[in-house]
Amino acid sequence: MAEAPDDSDLQLRKFQKELSAGTVSLALLAVLGSADEPMYGYQIAKRLELLDGVLSGKQSALYPVLRNLSAAGMLDSHVEPSVSGPPRRYYRITEAGRTTLQQWTAAWRATRDSVDAVLEGVCQ
Amino acid sequence: MNSMRTNNNRPPQSIPEYLEQLSQALAGADPALVQDALYDAEEYLRSELAEQPGRSEAEVIASVASSYGAPEEVADIYRDTEVKVQTALRPPAPPPRTSLLGRFFGVAADPRTYASMFYMVLSLATGIFYFTWVVTGLSVSLSLVVVLIGIPLLILFFGSIRLLSLVEGRLVEVMLGERMPRRPLYSARGRNWLQRIGDMFTDARTWSTLLYMLVMLPLGVVYFTINVTLLSLSLSMIAAPLALFPGLHLNVWMFGIDFPQQAPYLLPLVSAIGVLLLFASLHLFRAIGRMHGSMAKHLLVKTAQYS
Repeated sequence: MAEAPDDSDLQLRKFQKELSAGTVSLALLAVLGSADEPMYGYQIAKRLELLDGVLSGKQSALYPVLRNLSAAGMLDSHVEPSVSGPPRRYYRITEAGRTTLQQWTAAWRATRDSVDAVLEGVCQ
Repeated sequence: MNSMRTNNNRPPQSIPEYLEQLSQALAGADPALVQDALYDAEEYLRSELAEQPGRSEAEVIASVASSYGAPEEVADIYRDTEVKVQTALRPPAPPPRTSLLGRFFGVAADPRTYASMFYMVLSLATGIFYFTWVVTGLSVSLSLVVVLIGIPLLILFFGSIRLLSLVEGRLVEVMLGERMPRRPLYSARGRNWLQRIGDMFTDARTWSTLLYMLVMLPLGVVYFTINVTLLSLSLSMIAAPLALFPGLHLNVWMFGIDFPQQAPYLLPLVSAIGVLLLFASLHLFRAIGRMHGSMAKHLLVKTAQYS
C-alpha cells in the first residue's frame, strides 16, 4: 500500500478477480473430486496455494464457496474434533458433485480452447 | 471513526485481535454473515497456528495477511460473495405490483406468505418443546448443583441451547427468509473450565436465547390460534353460499340472522367479505413472519456480536 496502484494495474486486478470468481468453484470441486478422503477448508486452501495464477488469491474467498457448493448438494460435510486445534469441517464430493464436475470440466475445456484459438492470432 | 481507522491499520498480533478487526471491518453487515465470516477466519487461523508450532502467534498472523487476507480484505470478499449468493440462490422476486388492488391480492403469489403460515402452525410444537427443554434443563441441573453433579449437567444443557438456537435459526431462515448464521460461535479456547462456566453466565447470548425459547411457548400458542381462527372463519364465510344447495345442511348464523332462511341474497356478500378477510389474513401472516424473523435475529444472533 506504499504507492497508489495505477490504472492498468487496477484493470488487471479486476480481470483476475473475475476470472477467479468464475473458476474457483470448478477448482474446488476438482480438488475434492481427486481427493481420496474428506478434506477440511485449510487443507483445500493450502492445496490451491501451490498453484500459480488467479486461484492463489486470498484464501478467505474459498470458505463461502465451499459453503455454497455444500448447500447446493455437491459436497457433503461433517465436523470432527481435532487433536491440535479447533474442530474441523470436512468436505467430501457427492455423486451430484461428480456429475457437475464432469459437465463443468467439459464447459471449461471448450471455453479454454476457443479463447486459445482467438488468442493465437494476437501473440505469435 | 478516525480513531477506529488508525486502530485498524495496526496489524493484528493475536487471533482475538484479528477477529476483532474483522468484525469492525464488517460493521453494518448482516450479523449472520459476520458470524459465519468470524467462524471461517478462526478455523483458518487456528489451523495455521497448529501447522507451525515453532512460530509465535504474532508471526503467524502477520504471514496470514498475504494468504488468507488482512481483515479489511476478508471483509470485502465476504460482502462481495454475499451479494452474489443472495442473487443466485433466492427465488426470483415477484414483479412489484403498483396498483393498490394488485398489492392487496398479490400476497397470494408470494411464497413467503405460505411459509410464514406454516411456521405459525409449527411454532406451537417447537414452542412447547423449547419451553419444556429450558424449564426441565434449568430446574434439574440447577437443583443438582448443590450435589455437584448439576455442574456437568448445566454445561451440557447450555451446549444443547446453542445447538437448538442454530436449528431454530435454520428454520427461521428457510421459512421466514431472515438470513441466519450457518456456523456456531467458537467458544473461547485456552480458558479453564471454571472460566468457561463463568463465560456462559456472562454471555448475553445465552440469556437472550433462553428468553427466546421461553417466549416461544406463548407466541406459538398465539400464532397457532390466530392462524387457525382466521383461516377457518374466512374459509367458512367463503363457503356460505353453499347453504343454498338443496340437500346441504349448512347453518349461517351471524348477528342473530339466519342467512339462508331470512336473507339468502346476502350470502354472496358474506362470501365476498370472506375472500377479503382471507387475503387480509394472508397479509397478517406474512407480517407476523417478518416480525418474528427480526425478533429471532435480535435474540439469537445480534447479541453475539464481538463488540
